[in-house]
Amino acid sequence: MTESGFTVDVDQNEYLPEGGREVSAIVTVASAADAAGLASPGPAGAEPDGSAEIIIIDCSGSMEYPRTKIAAARAATAAAVDVVRDGVLFSVIAGTNLAFSVFPADGSMARADASSRAAAKQAVAGLRAGGGTAIGQWLDLARQTFARYPARLRHAILLTDGKNQHESSEQLAATVSQCEGFFSCDCRGIGTDWEVKELRTISTALLGSVDIVPDPSGLAADFEAMMANAMGKQVADVVLQVWTPQHATVKFVKQVAPTVDDLTDRRTPSGPQAGDYPTGAWGPGESRDYHVGVEVTPAGLGDVMLAARVKLLAKSASGTDVLGQGLVRATWTDDEALSTKINPGVAHYTGQAELAAAIQEGLEARKAGDEETATAKLGRAVALAHQSGNEDTAKLLAKVVDVVDVETGRVRLKKQVEDADEMALDTRSTKTVRARK
Amino acid sequence: MAICPKGHDSANDDFCDTCGLRIAGRPSPGSTEGTGSVASGGYADSGSPSGRPAPGPPPVMGTPSAATGAAGAGEPCPRCGTPRVGQFCETCGYKFGADQPPWPPAPPALAPSPDLSPPSTPWPPPSSQPSPSSQPPWTLAPSAPSAQSGLSTRSAPSVPSVPSVPIAQPVSPRPPLAPSSPAPAVWTAVVSADRQYYESVQAVGGPDMAAVSFPGYYAERQFRLAGGQMRIGRRSVSRGIEPEIDLTGPPADPGISRLHAVLIATPDGNWAVLDPGSANGTLVNGSEIPTDVQVPLQDGDRINLGGWTAITVHRG
Repeated sequence: MTESGFTVDVDQNEYLPEGGREVSAIVTVASAADAAGLASPGPAGAEPDGSAEIIIIDCSGSMEYPRTKIAAARAATAAAVDVVRDGVLFSVIAGTNLAFSVFPADGSMARADASSRAAAKQAVAGLRAGGGTAIGQWLDLARQTFARYPARLRHAILLTDGKNQHESSEQLAATVSQCEGFFSCDCRGIGTDWEVKELRTISTALLGSVDIVPDPSGLAADFEAMMANAMGKQVADVVLQVWTPQHATVKFVKQVAPTVDDLTDRRTPSGPQAGDYPTGAWGPGESRDYHVGVEVTPAGLGDVMLAARVKLLAKSASGTDVLGQGLVRATWTDDEALSTKINPGVAHYTGQAELAAAIQEGLEARKAGDEETATAKLGRAVALAHQSGNEDTAKLLAKVVDVVDVETGRVRLKKQVEDADEMALDTRSTKTVRARK
Repeated sequence: MAICPKGHDSANDDFCDTCGLRIAGRPSPGSTEGTGSVASGGYADSGSPSGRPAPGPPPVMGTPSAATGAAGAGEPCPRCGTPRVGQFCETCGYKFGADQPPWPPAPPALAPSPDLSPPSTPWPPPSSQPSPSSQPPWTLAPSAPSAQSGLSTRSAPSVPSVPSVPIAQPVSPRPPLAPSSPAPAVWTAVVSADRQYYESVQAVGGPDMAAVSFPGYYAERQFRLAGGQMRIGRRSVSRGIEPEIDLTGPPADPGISRLHAVLIATPDGNWAVLDPGSANGTLVNGSEIPTDVQVPLQDGDRINLGGWTAITVHRG
């Protein structure tokens, strides 16, 4: 481990044929296994400008139908509050077609300790459902609340049970882009009446996860896990800075493990020929893979060129720390044995990205009634999941299609598919398996 | 601060900050297999020392680089000036690194006169106009006939070396040329794309005007005027026309004839231009010159020909 606690490894076939332009590499970024190994000062929350947490609960009228939903939401919030470490700032927001601060009621944030946690749980116990759904309003209030305090790590948990009916998608998109880069947000949908795409646009922009909680009884455990994960974060605002030489272009930067997430459009220029891609906050023991594609201007046979210099940077108020660096090379050769090999990691992750896309496109086609496309796409997904050993995804697919032949991907759409199963496949379609080294 | 094979300054000493090429002397990557994990947690880059010879100075335009390995991506093509993208020029197909001069062999600059392959069109036309002196422009009248050895084999009457041979008067009245100084004057011609001229040509119109468009990119080219004459035109293998100033391009100016005009060295050390009968005519400083008449040139004169080409002569 380097002294920053991070490592950056590059896996690629660097050999190109004469005139070759496309360079592909898998960049694995890993953090030290224990908190002490990470360079930044101790777990966030130990000092005054550490962490801030907000829990956002949907209190629209539908949360009472059935009443188990609002009851589960109350219990889960209480469970999450108990996980918040002493010293961390926190608050709870309730959302309907408006948003209001539940605890502290005046819109401030409380510093977690035994008494503030107890007061929060009491306030949450009094939550009642009633009203509409305008998620942008909730996010906006969270943003304003966060903005009142300095903090290194800002994170929110958002729970909804329905579609965003009381504001337009443009309004929601505008609010989300205001929040981008300011705080991260994990989204959960309870029941099956919410829109996966809606929550996914929020979670991808705000660098969080999205998932379905079909059964209210599972909510508390999920909230606890999310909060514990947030508590474990230490290094905030980590970016991948990708530098390319003159006359070269970055074709794409995608996170491919643990989930597929295309970062290409979220590039912020940061110097000559360089751009930053956000990766959010990191805790100990994390490992993420990125697939980087660069198109270069070919040099001559025998030349070695740096196609991309990938630096891991931590941006903070006090400056930018370089946590690690990886070099993506290009070497031009006339040895076909070298230049025609496909790097297994690149091949694997290309397949995983295709798998995620095939699932999402297949489900969309199915919803639109286009059975032919749906069968073709989901069949391709079954084949890819099998080839890559992605058993979790294969199991989810088996709930939506009947598999005739797993090798060729021949499937039949099931006549009856539970909404919960379809939504579970949709939200978890982006989960990938690691490339076997 | 390191310097990369192409001459860029680079803060990083492993690979160039500008073009990405590996910097000479740095170790090459350790793994020779096609797929290999190259772990690099920090800035250290270990490996075996580079076996390639250190590249020389950055490639100069017009100089064929002997080693194909010392690739200069972005260096201008010696033929057409397009920035280099790979082994072959994207525009004219010139192969970089091959041992070939930018153009088919040009006559040696210091020869008394080029050995002309007989052109199919008789040149110069056997008219009353005396043929130009074919001695090197920088010498005055040679004192002995022996200085004329190795001169042109053209059938023109052997011209007396005295520079008193009259040259036909140009159409536009011009101030008499000052006698050339004893020191040799070096004349250069700069070929460029002339927007104003192009617009004036477009304004006049004509049957083929639609086919002529102003080039998006034109790298100015310089020619040193030497020998007794410099033909201006576009190369034609079938007709045996190989002009010294070859405007074949790309970008090609379709209004230029194969043998469009000739720059002729006058005995007093200056140069003149003559149009032997081109399809679209030749202008000097905006006025069209008559066919077969030598028009003396002065420093800074501009010759326009074709759809948009300008040749400016400089005496330096």
